[in-house]
Amino acid sequence: MTSVLPRTAPITALPVGWIAEPQLLRGIGSADLVDYRAHRAQSVPARRLSQADLLARLDTAGLAGRGGAGFPLATKIRSVLHEGSRLTPFVVVNACEGEPASAKDTALLRFVPHQVLDGAMICADAIGAERILVAITDHEAQLAVSAAVASRPDAARFEVCPIEARFVAGEAGALVAALSVGSDGRRNTAQAVPPGRRVLPSHRGVDGRPNLLSNAETFGQVAVLVGSSPAPAAASQAATRAPSTTSPRTAARTSTGTRLLTVTGAVRSPGVLEVPDGVPLAQVAEAVGARPSQSVVIGGYHGTWLPAAMLSELTLSAAGLAGVGASPGAGAVIFVGTDTCALAELSRVVGWLAAESARQCGPCSFGLPAIAQGVASLLRATPAGPTATGQLVLSRAGTVTGRGACAHPDGAARFVRSGLAVLAEDVGLHAAYGTCRRRDQGHLALSRSAALSRSLALSEAALSEAALSAAALSAAALSRAGGGGMGMGAHR
Amino acid sequence: MTASQPAANRRPATGASAMLAVDWTRCDGHGLCAALLPGAIQVDEWGYPILDQSELATRPRSELTRAVSACPALALRRA
Ligand code: SF4
Ligand code: SF4
Repeated sequence: MTSVLPRTAPITALPVGWIAEPQLLRGIGSADLVDYRAHRAQSVPARRLSQADLLARLDTAGLAGRGGAGFPLATKIRSVLHEGSRLTPFVVVNACEGEPASAKDTALLRFVPHQVLDGAMICADAIGAERILVAITDHEAQLAVSAAVASRPDAARFEVCPIEARFVAGEAGALVAALSVGSDGRRNTAQAVPPGRRVLPSHRGVDGRPNLLSNAETFGQVAVLVGSSPAPAAASQAATRAPSTTSPRTAARTSTGTRLLTVTGAVRSPGVLEVPDGVPLAQVAEAVGARPSQSVVIGGYHGTWLPAAMLSELTLSAAGLAGVGASPGAGAVIFVGTDTCALAELSRVVGWLAAESARQCGPCSFGLPAIAQGVASLLRATPAGPTATGQLVLSRAGTVTGRGACAHPDGAARFVRSGLAVLAEDVGLHAAYGTCRRRDQGHLALSRSAALSRSLALSEAALSEAALSAAALSAAALSRAGGGGMGMGAHR
Repeated sequence: MTASQPAANRRPATGASAMLAVDWTRCDGHGLCAALLPGAIQVDEWGYPILDQSELATRPRSELTRAVSACPALALRRA
């Protein structure tokens, strides 16, 4: 179960691994890409499901969107169906990953594209959609998906749409604007900014049609669910198990029991990890070889800082994180090592978030730079103490929240607020001495290649050490769990 | 980037439903709406309006309509 593949070192290296049994990533490890033949050989042939059958399965599994908002997919499908539009709906697969600390959708599309395409097709058949648009920012994923589509008998129903990468491009409204056919008769993929009036894609999406728009992983999970779940009768029995009390081991066995994470920061092997939903964060830390950490950021740069003291008790599921005011978001987990100046890291990322504002909305385009400036000034020695500046930053974070065409200011405000709460001690040190005697080590990376590159710096010795520790972990997990061991696959 | 809804488009927590909404991509921060509805609309430090929906709910409809039609950027609308 443990496999470490030899790595060549292209800049686009994208390591993937898993804890327990992979479901979405099934079949990789022995191959770079699970192609159509290999995919069909290991999955139940894609079949048409009735609306009722699909909805029943989704309800039972409680499948929620994996793009960040965590909205139940069944509810989205129902609102498309209830739209009663004269126009046939579209299915839109959102694989725009503008977050530098997230690479999971890119990994899915590059390595197991047919999971996502199957899931989208199952949904399209059930809601009576003819076309499926796949919106992708990553260039290699575009190539992989185009090739994957071409190899399918249902190729004609897919349209692969390249989208210019930027942080807000994946926002649903921005995506609808970018994908809609313009007056020139072409999809205007460059213009991915959120529109002023928010309209739900399920009501009026691309080309004015009702759209079932969801994240790539969500569709992948649909394929896993339909491909592996038993007959509906057995499925409804499973519904009686309370999801919140599901242990990681049982979760791994149920069909939607996994979640993709992108784990980066102060870790020996950053990468994309498929884990049982509700996996203990400590187990993730072990699997990637996390170095001693002072804090961890959950949910990426729109997410939440949490102190390392919580590391031992947190589990990664919507329910497990709700208690501490966090959510899995799109699954980005970043370990902030003890050797870095976390306040400088926070300040750098907030500056970046301000620069990523689409500069359409006043409160966002003036407020975020002002907040960034405030955080930066907390790094300097302040004889009067940091309280006034800190208060001003927090009050501005409150001011921008909810006052934009998209949720970018809300996410940035959440990131700053939770960061300053966790880093209160560092803020005090900086105010007193102008330093905490550490330097910004770049654990919160601003580009995907920087986020994932650490593994490239590993020597062969370190790699085999990582492999050994993964093997040891696997044995430990086996003895703890009495089955269902842990494997770390490394993959280009 | 998530597809989550910005808080402004949700119902306010106070229980009052939203009376007015701003299209933030259009609003130029003229502050005219704040001048027409003092006490219910304030401006932030950059001149952009902050709407107090529960206060707006107490104002006569005609005042809200007047503010909507006065907005030079066509950014203000009934929610
Ligand atoms: S809130 Fe900010 S990022 Fe979102 S559309 Fe407005 S200016 Fe752009
Ligand atoms: S009057 Fe219109 S443009 Fe001026 S601040 Fe109010 S909403 Fe914005």
